[in-house]
Amino acid sequence: MRLLIVEDSPELHQQLRTGLTEAGFAVDGAMDGEEAFYLGETEPYDAVVLDLGLPRVDGLTVLRRWRAAERAMPVLILTARDSWTEKVEGLNAGADDYLAKPFAMAELVARLNALIRRSNGVAKTELVFGEVRLDTAARAVSRNGQAVRLTALEYGMLAYLALHAGRPISKTELTEHLYAQDFDRDSNTLEVIVARLRRKLGDQLIETVRGQGYRLIPASPAAAAPG
Amino acid sequence: MKSLTRRLLLLTTLWVALGLGLMGWFVVQTDQRQIETAADARLGSLLDAVVAAAAFDPSAGPILTRPLADPAFERPLSGHYWQITGPGGSQATSRSLWDSRLLPPLREPEGVRARDVEGPRSERLRLLERDVQLESRFGLVPITVQVAVVREGTDEEIASLRQNVILAFALLGTGLVAVVALLVLWGLRPLRRTQEELAEVREGRRQHMDVVAPAEIAPLVAEIEALIEQNRATVDRARNHVGNLAHALKTPIAVLRNALETGDLPGARAQSATLERLVQHHLRRARAGALAGSAGAECMPLALAEALATALRRLTAARGITIRVSGEADARIRADSQDVTEMLGNLMENACKYGQRQVAVRVTHSAPGRITIEVADDGPGLPEGEDGAALMRGVRLDEAKPGSGLGLAIVSDLAALYAGHLSLERSTRLGGLSARLDLPGRLASESYRGPD
Repeated sequence: MRLLIVEDSPELHQQLRTGLTEAGFAVDGAMDGEEAFYLGETEPYDAVVLDLGLPRVDGLTVLRRWRAAERAMPVLILTARDSWTEKVEGLNAGADDYLAKPFAMAELVARLNALIRRSNGVAKTELVFGEVRLDTAARAVSRNGQAVRLTALEYGMLAYLALHAGRPISKTELTEHLYAQDFDRDSNTLEVIVARLRRKLGDQLIETVRGQGYRLIPASPAAAAPG
Repeated sequence: MKSLTRRLLLLTTLWVALGLGLMGWFVVQTDQRQIETAADARLGSLLDAVVAAAAFDPSAGPILTRPLADPAFERPLSGHYWQITGPGGSQATSRSLWDSRLLPPLREPEGVRARDVEGPRSERLRLLERDVQLESRFGLVPITVQVAVVREGTDEEIASLRQNVILAFALLGTGLVAVVALLVLWGLRPLRRTQEELAEVREGRRQHMDVVAPAEIAPLVAEIEALIEQNRATVDRARNHVGNLAHALKTPIAVLRNALETGDLPGARAQSATLERLVQHHLRRARAGALAGSAGAECMPLALAEALATALRRLTAARGITIRVSGEADARIRADSQDVTEMLGNLMENACKYGQRQVAVRVTHSAPGRITIEVADDGPGLPEGEDGAALMRGVRLDEAKPGSGLGLAIVSDLAALYAGHLSLERSTRLGGLSARLDLPGRLASESYRGPD
């Protein structure tokens, strides 16, 4: 899952980058409103963490411009301004969630996961594909009840395929959602990750669709049905 | 810069110049006419004297039977002349005319005719003439009698009159303007004094304003004094507040430092939570305190509740809670809209947090001059006897639910600042908690009706 962090305080920006990367997200960052708008308009992010008080262009304006340009990715406003008037303004400008500083990293991660699930029409936190069980809140994967350790990229690919189960996902789309902009992609080609996932979770889980990409087959209808 | 003094002086000067100028012109005109009338009257009596002494001798023409009293008529070119013209151009003249003649008489209707003519020495003469019929042996003989006197005296009199009037009025005008200037300066002196004292207060050389202001300025001075007082009170409160905050923060910081040094991470986390709660609490108090004085604005609670409901629907999208807002669209609350949003936001967020499926917000006109907003949910409600604790600062009813626990206390504090009241009870409709926020307000239709 690829995130955009928009935060102008260097310390907090770095903390967010570290914390969210540790939580398994591919993270891009912007330090001002102009850069943020450009990135959010051109890159396919799964969610955005947006500070409101930004240099050049303020956060609310950036958000309104994204929505006017029909960019629908979920946006979480992270700000020290926590009066209800400001919350209402932010949410009614098109934000999907609002978190006031100071905050706990665990809560931010949980909210981002919930936002991403919701934006893909998935209500449950736990997704089941045959013998494989994926807990998106705990970021835990198990096979036949046995916990399986996955790298961040492996988990990211599995979660992305799981949230879009049944649909073939192209390599381009996967690349866009798994890697941050400045990531060195050569050593971690998609084929390698898919191979490792198949080795850990079984050959049947991920299907290769010729010419279209990869697909996760929804094992039980309930797991894939939205809501 | 617009100066009152300059403006008043300019207006006064214009008005005085215009008024006095017009008046002077009238006075001079009137007096000039009187002087000329008097001169004509004197000339008229001379004319009468000449007419009375005139006679007609058939052989010599018109004659004067006796000399006039004024010897000037005998002195050549003295400026006093008479001339009698009889039929056929026969003439008699005063000796003073010598060999020159006055202008021939005008052939005009009856009566005394007056005009200004040029005399033998090119002097300006005032001439009066009259046609009369003289009795003689041949019956009535028509003659014309003319008397002319030099104008010099009259002109001098008029010139000196004009000079006097101009002088007097100029003096009067200057005096008036000067008096107005003095009045303005003196009248505005309290303002200047007020300004000086205000500057002294600002510079800290003075605690209060002592200026004795006239009735027109006293309210202004009183307002300024009230403002100074309010300002001082605000500063005192802020200073107090900062002091309290510093004291309140120091203990957790000390504990935090010790916890970090001994590697007690859970302890450090707890202290940081305490710090966060303190900062939040004091921030909100400060905000409420800053706004409490600025009453007077009105806000529309139904519109605010609807905006909040829209925002909360986004926040609770995953939980499928239905938020219904209903009631008087006409209701107006006499409070800052940000404060009402803050109170309503806290109540509605609480309701969404504890409610299972439904939250209902109703705005009603509960009593004359009061608006009540009820926020009800279908959650567990309050345990018996706990409503007081919920309003107490920082006490959470359910420690398991996230939130600072300050929500209801802040609502209660804010409501009290606006002479309002927050009460908690069991909702009869939804079964959960019902928070009733009662605030001063009215229905817009009470005092005015819109076009619809």
